[in-house]
Amino acid sequence: MSEFISNFPILAIMSLFLGAFITSLLGRKNAVVRNVIVFISMALALIMMLALIKPVFIEGKVIGYWLGNWAPVADWAIGIGLEVDALSLFFGLIITVAVFVSGTYSFTYMSHDDSLVNYYTLFLMLSGSVLGLVLSGDLFNMFVMIEIMTFTAVALTAFRNTYEGALEGALKYLVVGALGSSSVLIGTALIYSQLHTLNLAQITALLTNDQNIVTGIAFAFLFIGFGTKAFLFPFHPLAADAHAVAPASISLMISGVLTKCGVYGIIRLVYCLYQNIDRPFVQYLVTAFGAVSMFICVTMAFNQHNFKRLLAFHSISQVGYVITAVGLGTSLGLASGLYHAMNHTIFKGLLFLTAGAVQHMTGSLDLDELGGLSKKMPRTCILFLIGAASISGLPPFNGFGSKWMIYQAAFEKSSQTGNVFFLVVCVTALITSVLTLASFVKVAQSVFFGQLNPKFENTKEVPLAMRIPMWILAILCIVTGIFPGSVANKLLMPAVNAATNTRAYVSAMMGEAYAAAHQVVHAGAADVQLIGVYSPMSWMLLLLSITSAVCLVAVLGSPEKKKLEPVVGANVPNGPMTPGSIPVTSQSREADERELITDDLDPKYESFFSGEHAEYSQVGGSDLFWGFKKNWRHYFSFMHEWHSGILNDYALYGACSLALTLLLCVLFL
Amino acid sequence: MIIMNYIASFILVGLGIFCIATKRNLLKICIGSGLIDYGCNLLIVSVGFHDGGTAPIFAIRELTRASFFVDPVPQALTLTSIVIGACSTAMTLSLIIMIKKQYGTLKADKIRRLKG
Amino acid sequence: MTNVLLYAVHLFLFPGLLFIVVMGLLLAGIDRKLVARMQNRVGASILQPWYDFLKCCGKETIIPRHARKGLFLGAPVACFVILISAALFIPVFGGLSMSFEGDVVVILYLLTAAGVAIIVGSAASGSPFAGVGLSREMVAMISYELPFVLVLLAVGALCGQDSAYGVTFSMDEIVRWQTENGSSLLHPAMIPAAIAMLFVIPCEIGMHPFDIAEAETEISEGTLTEYSGAPLGVFKLCHCVKMYVMTALFCALFLGGLSTGILLVDALLEVVFCIIVTFLCMTVPHAICARFKVEQVFKFYWTFVSALALISLLLVWIMR
Repeated sequence: MSEFISNFPILAIMSLFLGAFITSLLGRKNAVVRNVIVFISMALALIMMLALIKPVFIEGKVIGYWLGNWAPVADWAIGIGLEVDALSLFFGLIITVAVFVSGTYSFTYMSHDDSLVNYYTLFLMLSGSVLGLVLSGDLFNMFVMIEIMTFTAVALTAFRNTYEGALEGALKYLVVGALGSSSVLIGTALIYSQLHTLNLAQITALLTNDQNIVTGIAFAFLFIGFGTKAFLFPFHPLAADAHAVAPASISLMISGVLTKCGVYGIIRLVYCLYQNIDRPFVQYLVTAFGAVSMFICVTMAFNQHNFKRLLAFHSISQVGYVITAVGLGTSLGLASGLYHAMNHTIFKGLLFLTAGAVQHMTGSLDLDELGGLSKKMPRTCILFLIGAASISGLPPFNGFGSKWMIYQAAFEKSSQTGNVFFLVVCVTALITSVLTLASFVKVAQSVFFGQLNPKFENTKEVPLAMRIPMWILAILCIVTGIFPGSVANKLLMPAVNAATNTRAYVSAMMGEAYAAAHQVVHAGAADVQLIGVYSPMSWMLLLLSITSAVCLVAVLGSPEKKKLEPVVGANVPNGPMTPGSIPVTSQSREADERELITDDLDPKYESFFSGEHAEYSQVGGSDLFWGFKKNWRHYFSFMHEWHSGILNDYALYGACSLALTLLLCVLFL
Repeated sequence: MIIMNYIASFILVGLGIFCIATKRNLLKICIGSGLIDYGCNLLIVSVGFHDGGTAPIFAIRELTRASFFVDPVPQALTLTSIVIGACSTAMTLSLIIMIKKQYGTLKADKIRRLKG
Repeated sequence: MTNVLLYAVHLFLFPGLLFIVVMGLLLAGIDRKLVARMQNRVGASILQPWYDFLKCCGKETIIPRHARKGLFLGAPVACFVILISAALFIPVFGGLSMSFEGDVVVILYLLTAAGVAIIVGSAASGSPFAGVGLSREMVAMISYELPFVLVLLAVGALCGQDSAYGVTFSMDEIVRWQTENGSSLLHPAMIPAAIAMLFVIPCEIGMHPFDIAEAETEISEGTLTEYSGAPLGVFKLCHCVKMYVMTALFCALFLGGLSTGILLVDALLEVVFCIIVTFLCMTVPHAICARFKVEQVFKFYWTFVSALALISLLLVWIMR
């Protein structure tokens, strides 16, 4: 049985690709058949990934699989290998869960579109390629998977091609993404020219002792290539455009899954392949890219009018957090980066799905137009608030735990090295967190609270089939937030150990002797001590006990609800009528009519308008935070011009960053 | 190791990037993207070259320890890459056709409804 | 059983619910009286906040038509509960608190969460004035977070220089270090941080002249526009409790070493120091200045006050 488990990685990837092809063949006529095929292939992949938890996470084995049984000959890798260690499986789990949620969401969300068989074919190919990327043990195989991933994602971004800007966003994504993929290809070619192998394990072993200037240049190319996929600064305008126009389930895939592939590539690159994360230059490079992405994207979000475009900027900002944490080079840094990567997929997916729900029911994503939707869509509002609280880092949701670990990792790093750079990074991370909170307060007020736009009077709540995937993600948000300790022990530490234990990585594929002969390091992860023993359960008990005390006092002391007293005259007893007084009968009839005034018409329940006539005046969208935006107006107008929307400019920024990284790597690596 | 090929491939990639970064016409941008792909392909196939080697095509009896041939792996990679490049060009061109229908223009600085 | 009883006393009497509420109301009343005196008027009595709270509780609660009832009524309760929890983590003189290792970050987050509760409450009321109010409250939060974080880092770095990581995030640890090495305020590197903290306190509480969120004359009370009755009373109570929380935090961070060991004297010391801090940072600016503009608040905190806190942090860093 354990032998058969080693087939699960390839079977999982195959089930997704086969599902794509079978859908394309059989799913054209009948929607039910198509949905069933899609569901089965996603479920199979998820189940197989879950089944791999036991051998890989709990027992710590590394599963190596040579395609076609082409095992290494004379200590040289000749076949394409799949290698699943805890780091790969960690990302594999994130991917399959996100794919499953996105697929079940799109059954209802996309039901009004046509040519859905193409959608599902592309979707399953996207999922298969992403899973193939993280489980792959071969560098060129990763490149092929990246290309499949890019093409399918571009096609899916442009899927609703009548939507404003969809084709444009897809073209920009394709062209600049092609720049990134070519960068990976050049890096692969340069590595091959030096080492004559493409197998990741063998490259790891050979690079332990044998790094020269050409491999350094290859490092720069690979780093920028994977950075393009992760949408680091300055590739983030592509993400903003693509997320805004893609259907919401695809936005979840792009932001939650494709960016994680870029992150996975970077982690493999610096921790396993080159193992140069302990060099200060590499730490500065990676952390600087992450910190700049983090800060610039969160400030850009203040200027946005489109709900999904704002969410896209926040997505890149959170990926910046992950890269910053990964670049610190410590075990705690890597663990917090992985935790935040997982949390980001979950809460960002939830936010994109709620945005999709709003778009599905109202047809609009304009923050200046929407408002007051919490009355019409209360359950979506709750889901949005859970997602917003997670991303802002409020306890007890998962964003708080992972952000706290990142702050601690950054501060510890700065104390250990005595370096002010990491202190600046730590403070930047804290400020970004507050700005994220501000941004989501803006979105909550603009979309869900405030006054309802008369245009959207007839909105209804989103159907249950769309709410179920959102609730799955929301529950994951809460669960991973309340039990950070067990998440750290069961999921994060095995992955961190696997990433740093290159000896096991190499010996699983190439044999123990090979690893020993090349003096591959066997460094396990250092023991990770969290400064704050954050135990959410005791907090919850504390809050509950005080809340119950307060509520007890409130209930005991609440006054009786007074009825609306009728106005003067109705209670006048039958006494002598004073001259000038109105007859009792008509007055009491008036009073009776007054008693019939329900709460709907009583003016005391209107919003206060300081004497003006009440009308629709929603304060939302661009009207918020003007005091803050006024101080930064030069920065904002510069950034507005810089994100010009022209394809050439975005390609130019990417090329400049490639040139800069090349220069730095040649000089300092 | 052919220095000429390496220099040529990096020049091609550089020209492709220059095209994408400066040319406003979408078709020229597509050509630039193609140039980058071709530059990469040239680089890969040149990596595998051994001076004096023969083509790596042998019948069963002909392959001996003394056979000296160029590296076949980069040639396989190049084939894959050419196919991927063709796919990328096809996709870019189909998007450009649809954009021309929708926006009515092929100039990149007019196609900027998503900005800021 | 006695443990549970002791815990309950701690939670609800001293330094728990009752003490915090009484202290908060006392500080608010004293502040009001002192401002009045400084402005050459008689002013209301010191017990006036308490009377206001009782009066509010007796009034009718009107829930506007456009309001989200659950969030509208739950926000004041949530805010109050969060503030009491935050106050429980702050060690009163004598070290009575529910401290654990990461509680400085917890206090920071709880204070942020209290601000979020106010924002959620005003968002739920559906009034445009509340929309403007919550935007200003958020700007105020952004403004004071940066210097606040820097001050906490500076104090943590000073008091944690002997620990393994170079910084401590535990209030207990901070207080302990100060009892051994003298109060933070006596170290010259900490003076800019103390001044920065004195500036942060009125903005955090929403006290004049930094009360841009609850600007009565500009946006008809902003965040609290639609509130009435008991929820309004609870929000006013939260305001008073925040005064105690921030001043107690100041005392714990900068005056932590002064403790005599006798419970009553310690409690009295706490009261006296809280009143002094209130006078310095809240009463004096309140009596003298007019309300700041929104952009002025942001600029002030992110340049002048942050610079002070940063100087302190760098001095501590260099002198370790």
